Amino acid sequence: MPTILELRNVSKRFGGLRAVKDVSFAMSEGEIVFVIGPNGAGKTTVFNLISGFFHPEEGTILFRGQDITRVKPHASARMGVGRTFQIVKPLPSLTVLQNVMLGAFMHTGHLHQAEDDAAKILDFLQMSHIKNFLARGLPLAALKRLEIARALATKPKLILLDEVVSGLTTGEALALADLIKRLPEWGVSVVGGVEHVMQVVMKISDRVVVLDYGAKIAEGKPADVVKDPAVIEAYLGAKYKEMVH
Amino acid sequence: MPRFLTDFLQAGMDGLLTGALYALIGMGLALIFGVMRIVNFAHGAFLMVGMYVSWILFDKLQLNPYIGFLASGLFLFAFGWGVYKLLIQPIRDRSDFMQILMTTGIALILVDSIQLKFGADYHQTIIDLTNRPPFGFGPFTLNRAALMSFGIAGVFIVGLQQFVVRSRTGQALRAIAQNREVAPLMGINVTLIQGFSFALGIAMAGLAGGLLLPALYLFPSVGEDYTLKAFVIVVLGGMGSIEGAAIGGLVLGVTESLTSAYLGQQWALAVDFVLFLLVLSLKPSGIFGRQRA
Amino acid sequence: MSALRGWRIFALLGVTLAFAAVPLLVPNDYVLQVVFRIMLFAALGLAWNLVGGYAGQLSLGHVAFFGVGAYGMAMFHARHVPVWLAVFLAACVATGFAAVIGSVVFRLRGPYFTLSTIAFGEVLRLTATNLVSTGGAIGLSTPALFPPKAFWKMFYLSAVALAFVCFLVNAWTSRSRFGYYLMAIREDEETASAVGIDTANYKLRALMVSAFLTALGGALYGSAFQFIVPDSVLTVEISVQIAIITMLGGAGTLLGPVVGAVLLLSASELFKNKFQESHLLIYGILIVVVVLFLPEGIVGGLQSLLQRKAKPPANAAPAAGSAAPAQGGD
Repeated sequence: MPTILELRNVSKRFGGLRAVKDVSFAMSEGEIVFVIGPNGAGKTTVFNLISGFFHPEEGTILFRGQDITRVKPHASARMGVGRTFQIVKPLPSLTVLQNVMLGAFMHTGHLHQAEDDAAKILDFLQMSHIKNFLARGLPLAALKRLEIARALATKPKLILLDEVVSGLTTGEALALADLIKRLPEWGVSVVGGVEHVMQVVMKISDRVVVLDYGAKIAEGKPADVVKDPAVIEAYLGAKYKEMVH
Repeated sequence: MPRFLTDFLQAGMDGLLTGALYALIGMGLALIFGVMRIVNFAHGAFLMVGMYVSWILFDKLQLNPYIGFLASGLFLFAFGWGVYKLLIQPIRDRSDFMQILMTTGIALILVDSIQLKFGADYHQTIIDLTNRPPFGFGPFTLNRAALMSFGIAGVFIVGLQQFVVRSRTGQALRAIAQNREVAPLMGINVTLIQGFSFALGIAMAGLAGGLLLPALYLFPSVGEDYTLKAFVIVVLGGMGSIEGAAIGGLVLGVTESLTSAYLGQQWALAVDFVLFLLVLSLKPSGIFGRQRA
Repeated sequence: MSALRGWRIFALLGVTLAFAAVPLLVPNDYVLQVVFRIMLFAALGLAWNLVGGYAGQLSLGHVAFFGVGAYGMAMFHARHVPVWLAVFLAACVATGFAAVIGSVVFRLRGPYFTLSTIAFGEVLRLTATNLVSTGGAIGLSTPALFPPKAFWKMFYLSAVALAFVCFLVNAWTSRSRFGYYLMAIREDEETASAVGIDTANYKLRALMVSAFLTALGGALYGSAFQFIVPDSVLTVEISVQIAIITMLGGAGTLLGPVVGAVLLLSASELFKNKFQESHLLIYGILIVVVVLFLPEGIVGGLQSLLQRKAKPPANAAPAAGSAAPAQGGD
């Protein structure tokens, strides 16, 4: 399988703080990769770098062979990088269907075509029954799916799911995980990000990249990574600190 | 001293005298907008009310505006607090959009109520000090009324700055500015402090209004320009910085004075706005600013 | 909102014509002048609605385009350009101004955006006051767009026509990708760019269309009153008035600006005799009331009242675990 995404020695600073340090990894088309790490490890920053919301000081980001290091967010979306937000950002005064249509408009200027495309995606995400509700006031589980639906409607090649199951009950998370596992059917590769080494993630990801304090400390099959002493140390260290505070 | 240099210095000094009042106005808005994040489009209207308070005392009781301005400040403190409780507090967590509309509405009500009550006529406040010849030293002359305002304004500028830095209330105020979510956990009554800061900011506009009275013709929409000027000052000084606003006020005063001297007075206001647009688009943290939150 | 297709368009046209014809039965210049202002401000509100309503950018600088429309027409005509061509050229100049202004102000957010729009308007007013070519504070006389016979009738009808055009532009916007993109920008710019919307570009387009229509309104106004000064066609009060009309009626709705114009202008007309110069008092009070009690405006408030039925029930969450039967869950 050809490489869809590659990060080469990417670093990003905020003031004096290095949020992402010299991170490199690559993934193939059709893969599901999860970036994990304790709170503040730099996952969201990595997603913002890939989707063009931030630009790195050093390093290169390649998407399907093209350099997208300095591309703006909307341009990166048009090239095929879809994303969801950690803190869900629905457009509250629009309906669920209209929210998803916004994504579909990337490929059609016709209202009805956009409606049809959006409806198909809502069907896949099992949200058809709420498609005419306003996004305002939907429960979190529905909002998380809405984020995915909107991104999926842009027909991306790669979708970035930031903390996509956080805040959900185990049942909700598992149901969503099954849908994520089916995303490659839509021709989409997936980069997910989660804070905790959850069962859910272990089960659906082909590969896991572990970040700690902005640096990559491990990469590999989920089963191998959880046995890595550096990873255990990172999570235990974080836990220990939480206990102290 | 060559003529061009004395002209330049004269304009600069005149600018500093006006600038002290601008500093007072700007510091008031810095408290309200910079620190408390309330977008107050009625700042100039409150200033105008301060002028009318002082003028009424002068007109009815022959009270010298350099005493009357204290009454303007006190009145506007109370009035400002009332307006906060009644109209600002209910919407303080709504969008900027709503705050702008609300304070624009308040400004319209203030200006037109004053107009309804006192008419649209111009009033001039002539006191002994404005009639005396200007104070001269060397090749320079300074307007005595402006000099007087400068001195008084200076006292209040330093006083306000010290209050914010040293007093317990001032500390609470800065704590809220830094983190409104955490402040209540530290035992700070956010609503109380916010109302107080709003009232204090308005009172500063009131004091400045009283001090401006001898220098300006009085009419209901006299404050209009001062709303934008106040925002210009806060932006120049860097958001959220009380000291920055003081310096921003002086800079604006000098800029206006130099513009008047070299381009003509009619361009002074236009230069204010051009300066404002330039700072916003080129250096949004303000000329002397720290970062903008 | 339903589609504007087929018979609906004709129904709309019919209603508009009937509506427009009524005041013509009252051959009274005062009445015609009042309804002219109402229709003109309805048009201006609709033009503003693209930027302030759909795209959610609170511009208080639209008087810049209004003023350029009026001044541009007068200045082009003074250089022997035929009057209607002068109107068109003035609107084009205003559109160019919008491109320049927009490229500066749209880099700013929230109150800074609003303040900078005011500042642009004020810079134009002060420039017009100080330049010789614009007649300074004395102003310029404007060309008459219509002959003295049936003067106000014609101005009234052209204001109706402009309002109708603005309405169609709004109706098209509300049902098009363009409009959806503007609404996305209003609700959340980050989300908008995540679905591939070039937010700066779309805001600029909205402003340019809005500026063109606003300038046409300015030209009509300038010609109707035969003489313009900076304080009549470049005052920030006009910007405020346009915004408030739309907010009162309901920003981002189709009928809001029309409802707002009818209500506010007739109210201020009624109070004009009572309060004379202080008729803006009623504006101030209405703003405060709307912000406190009716933040979505009249039409907006009614719409959400109707939509409340469509609010999600408590169990709107997707059924957990139903995605894959193989999944055990817990």
